[in-house]
Amino acid sequence: MVLICTVIAAMVWGAVAIAWRDVFALLADALPFYDSERAAEMPPVYRDILLQIRVPRVLLAAAVGSSLAVSGAVFQGLFRNPMADPYVIGISSGAALGAVFAMLGGFSLALGGFGAVPLFAFAGGISTMMLVYSMARVGRAVPVMTLLLAGIAVSAFLSALVSLLTYFAGERLHMVVFWMMGGLGGATWQQVQVMVPYALVGYICVSFFSRELNAMLLGEETASHLGVNTERVKKILLVGASLLVAAAVSTSGIIGFVGLVVPHFVRLVAGPDHRFLIPASALLGGALLIATDTLARIVIAPSELPVGIITALIGAPMFIYLLKKRRKLRYFGGGG
Amino acid sequence: MGLDIDVHGLKLTYDTHPVLDGTEFSVKRGDLVALLGANGAGKSTLLRCISRVLQPTGGQIILDGRELQQFKTKEAARLMAVVPQETTADFDFTVEDIVMMGRFPYLRRFQKEDLGDREIVSRAMEMTGVSHLADRSIATLSGGEKQRVIMARAVSQQPEVLLLDEPTANLDIGYQSMLLELASRLNREQGVTVIAAIHDINLAVHHFNRYILLSGGRVLAAGRAEEVITPENIQKSYGVPASTYRHPLHGVLQVSVVRGPRPRELPGGGASAHVIGGGEEALPVLEILSQKGCRLSVGPVSAQDSGCRFAHFHSLPVIIVPPFTSMNNEHRAEHFRLMREADAVIVPPIPFGEGNLPIFDQVEVVLKEGKPVYIIDFDGIEERDYSGRAGVLMQRMVDEGAVVLDSVEDLPEAICGVRNRDGGEEGER
Repeated sequence: MVLICTVIAAMVWGAVAIAWRDVFALLADALPFYDSERAAEMPPVYRDILLQIRVPRVLLAAAVGSSLAVSGAVFQGLFRNPMADPYVIGISSGAALGAVFAMLGGFSLALGGFGAVPLFAFAGGISTMMLVYSMARVGRAVPVMTLLLAGIAVSAFLSALVSLLTYFAGERLHMVVFWMMGGLGGATWQQVQVMVPYALVGYICVSFFSRELNAMLLGEETASHLGVNTERVKKILLVGASLLVAAAVSTSGIIGFVGLVVPHFVRLVAGPDHRFLIPASALLGGALLIATDTLARIVIAPSELPVGIITALIGAPMFIYLLKKRRKLRYFGGGG
Repeated sequence: MGLDIDVHGLKLTYDTHPVLDGTEFSVKRGDLVALLGANGAGKSTLLRCISRVLQPTGGQIILDGRELQQFKTKEAARLMAVVPQETTADFDFTVEDIVMMGRFPYLRRFQKEDLGDREIVSRAMEMTGVSHLADRSIATLSGGEKQRVIMARAVSQQPEVLLLDEPTANLDIGYQSMLLELASRLNREQGVTVIAAIHDINLAVHHFNRYILLSGGRVLAAGRAEEVITPENIQKSYGVPASTYRHPLHGVLQVSVVRGPRPRELPGGGASAHVIGGGEEALPVLEILSQKGCRLSVGPVSAQDSGCRFAHFHSLPVIIVPPFTSMNNEHRAEHFRLMREADAVIVPPIPFGEGNLPIFDQVEVVLKEGKPVYIIDFDGIEERDYSGRAGVLMQRMVDEGAVVLDSVEDLPEAICGVRNRDGGEEGER
């Protein structure tokens, strides 16, 4: 419901305002079996703005937002740590390193219509995940605590490399900084086409194992007593969530806060059951990112703010308000 | 129901330190086994090998004739449930959610819990007495309630084997026996094989029928309580001297760890006393004086008397009279000797009859010699006088200088006072 409203709102508002009736008309007109008279009367530029710019952007925002929120929920559950977010095992730093590398190198490599930056970012993110995973492995098992620590260490190292590269960025500094703040500017249908399958695959992976994730919340030993093949589940969840994050980061840069706050938000309202938490986080994450992206577009229109700034500016106070209202976080060692 | 478990030459090494070193035993279908042993003897490690959390470096665990590793994870979870020492439950699942997780090994992916599952869960909660907590968040429960919820989850797993890893370590005495009673009920009513690692031997002997004592990763003894719980075995496994005895109330075998010699600098150090008679009436007197570090002697008592056991336990001089006989000359001489050696003589509120009345005469003799005598009397001697003459004798002794105290607490001070008055210069402050 919230998602649908924000989708509509996002399409209506923008540097060029389009009335909501017109939005519906144009959308309906785009369907092959329906012709709208109202749409036909409008200047074609509206149609272009809506269909070529806003719709893909809204869809991309939804995909990125849900991916981040879902992976945040998975990492928090897996690590049983409320501080975990999608970037906790260093995927973001890996992606950033890849992206910065591509930008500074000025590679013109393009694969399937993609620039070097998202490709390198994706590769960086996934290889970081694999590196961290192999570092944390002890025999056949991968203890989550080691995974977390390895992630933090690798992440710190890669961030230092990113800073180093940024230091020598010269006139491309602006580009690097802007990418790292995250944004959905210049979304295209093509990006949507690539992002959505990744997000879907990752989401399906994760939602398959919701019940296992519930059991994992009680501790790995207990989970295995209950018949969860913990090592396998961990591996699948890690890969699934990492796919989500890497896809999100490579299309939109590092957008903070969505992945951290949305799952907490849902837990506060509806409890920790992942069978509900995962889909609810996906919806809320998508809605939140569409809303903040819309704000990012209109507050200083016709120019844009990086959406990461808005998510933090709005998300943080909302979250603090909720915390205060609930007095205490009853899950995750919040006392009780 | 219930399964056999055979453990063959199990080895597990942490770094280079062997925790399990050829552990070997077998548990029969429907056994109710307590796993005993000192900290670090390998109890938990053994249980975690059986529950497949740890992979042994050598040896085999055979469950119902099949090698444990051959079971699929879910299959194993349908056969075996585990109750750990403590469950960190700091999230918002309701009690019912947690118990329902016990159904996990029976559910296919995306399969909803059906009525049958709900029925099993609600019966499990009823059995463990947590039905009224069903909608409460697990994070808000007390340790005892939480442990019963975990027990309910184990029950809803409908296991053939129940493993408990020091399940009572954090519980108060009420919850401790309640939890173990639940385990033995599962064993009795459903034939579930139970193996529980347990610290408190005296608690364990009430609930289990087989015992396995581990020491250094090996089985030191296995069998009935009498075969396993012996002073020698306790000394070997726990490294402390111990005595075993039958509990006076329920007759169950019990263990007591002997304390070393009392330090002499205790307030009562040096002062000595002879306590007349034994029984439940003399024990509080003996206990408090012994606590304060007084040197004691006891008697005359019969060999079966608790005062006699006390004297043996603390290696005190004691006069033992055979049951249903009166004192002979030898006893009498010994009695006089002990009374004269002591700084004071104490008469606890023991019952008096024709049989032990001569003791009063002997006490009167040393009283006349100037020995301080203390008579403990709470509720008047008439209540416990079966001879009809004790009251008169007591009054006579009071006239001759015996002191009557109406509480045991004042006794140590009184005796130390005697010691000081007599010019005992050693050990007093």
